[in-house]
Amino acid sequence: MSLKFLQRFNVKDRLLGLIVPLFVLALWQGAVSQHLFSELLLVPPLTLWNTIIELFRSGDLISNIQVSLNRVFLGFLLGGSAGFILGVGMGLSPVINRALGPLVKVLQQVPELAWMPMIILLFGIDEFARIFFIAIGAFYPMIFNTYQGVSGVPEKYHELARVFDYKSFRYLSKVIIPSALPSIITGIRLSIGLSWMFLVGAELFGTESGVGFLMIMGRQMFQIDVVMAGLVVIGTLGLIINTLLKKFEQFVLRGRVSFDGGAA
Amino acid sequence: MDIIVAKDVRKKFKLKHGQQVKNNGIVSNEIDALGGFDLNIKKGEFLVLVGPSGSGKSVFLDIVGGLSTPTSGVVYLDDKPVDAPSEKTGYVFQQYALFPWRTALSNIEFGLESRGVVKEERVKIARELLSLFGLSDFEDRYPYQLSGGMQQRVAIARALATKPEVLLMDEPFAALDAQTREILQNELIRIWEGTDTTVIFVTHSIDEAVFLADRVAVVTARPGKIKEIIEIDLPRPRHGDIRSCSAFAANRHKVWGALKAEVNKAQQDWKHAPVNSK
Repeated sequence: MSLKFLQRFNVKDRLLGLIVPLFVLALWQGAVSQHLFSELLLVPPLTLWNTIIELFRSGDLISNIQVSLNRVFLGFLLGGSAGFILGVGMGLSPVINRALGPLVKVLQQVPELAWMPMIILLFGIDEFARIFFIAIGAFYPMIFNTYQGVSGVPEKYHELARVFDYKSFRYLSKVIIPSALPSIITGIRLSIGLSWMFLVGAELFGTESGVGFLMIMGRQMFQIDVVMAGLVVIGTLGLIINTLLKKFEQFVLRGRVSFDGGAA
Repeated sequence: MDIIVAKDVRKKFKLKHGQQVKNNGIVSNEIDALGGFDLNIKKGEFLVLVGPSGSGKSVFLDIVGGLSTPTSGVVYLDDKPVDAPSEKTGYVFQQYALFPWRTALSNIEFGLESRGVVKEERVKIARELLSLFGLSDFEDRYPYQLSGGMQQRVAIARALATKPEVLLMDEPFAALDAQTREILQNELIRIWEGTDTTVIFVTHSIDEAVFLADRVAVVTARPGKIKEIIEIDLPRPRHGDIRSCSAFAANRHKVWGALKAEVNKAQQDWKHAPVNSK
């Protein structure tokens, strides 16, 4: 197969990914303008687009996005760092692993939503409760991936560290963390991804700001276009965040050919 | 003067739970890797350990390097018992074990960083070593951008950077193809002949042993101990061509003569490979 053929194949592939959504949009717009569905229930794409633009212009959307991003960031910071610290501990010490491993595995089986009553009882319906809820989502991918990376550091690296007298913090920062970095970054990516997923859940109870709040208000006022605009914004922002994190991953791991420690 | 003295070094390994070996009718869940290893190594000599697979050569190297402790017996380095890795030793592994997140230059700096050498000095030392190995144009390359031979050169340079008195090399060229291997042997001997470093080198290759060594220590089949030490009476400096001279063949013959019986014994030893007791 020639390179040209492969490139053409790739372009065709991508076009296919655009054609289908465009087709769906056209069908959708057509169905509404032919009055097959009520415009009140199924807002046509063009109206939806106008609503999004309007929400942008009024500043409503921007300020609520800021609030939501802030929550995701704080939740990730809290849950992610707890997961990271415990993951490193479990990866380095078999004792800590045996002590904490079973507990973490049991707690992981609790569905995220099941935490909500507990959190409300513990913290009430305030900002910290929402951040804590997001933090639980951020915690698991971080602890498991960090643990996997740290416990998978090749034996030879540990020996090299001993030969060259690397101890405590220097050992951690120059050998363990760099070696586990591919896993840790995967953990960060999944962790932020899940934080984003749980954001709306967190904003479902007693909020007065955030993208989730915007959607709830839309529902209460029967503004379907606002609810749908919220969906579009959440999906798009999630995609942007994920793409940025992938770029970040590529940048940090440049120079590494494989994730198992290269030629080691 | 002897820089390293090993006295009656023994090492037992416990088998995994449920495994056992039967040796001379005795059932046991331990394996004797080293069975009374006595060896004196002179300062500045190039000593090569050859022996059948599983004869504990690498175990001995780990003990000298302070990476492993003997079950009994003791190894002295400069008259002090070894109980932890020493600044005086450098280590080269069979798997090059370069860090994939560091460039060639930065991999060589690794050992100097923990010894508190300042950046400019580290870079200077690392560049000198790269140039010694003909790798000056590759200092910014990551390990995956280097051939196997280049990677092992960098790993040797990393070990030499801290100027060790004793360099431990555990089958460093085993993973390389035959031609690259000869080239690296030539380079190693050229570089070593310009230093006063003591080298303990483990290999399976008799040719490699004869070409590099001042003395070849032949290790017995498990449990390993020194069977015989053979002085290699080839002149120095040695060049690659020496491999085809008759004196080389004569030395080779001597080493193989001592080793042959042990290799056969090690083959028989497979009868006693660990089995599950249940």
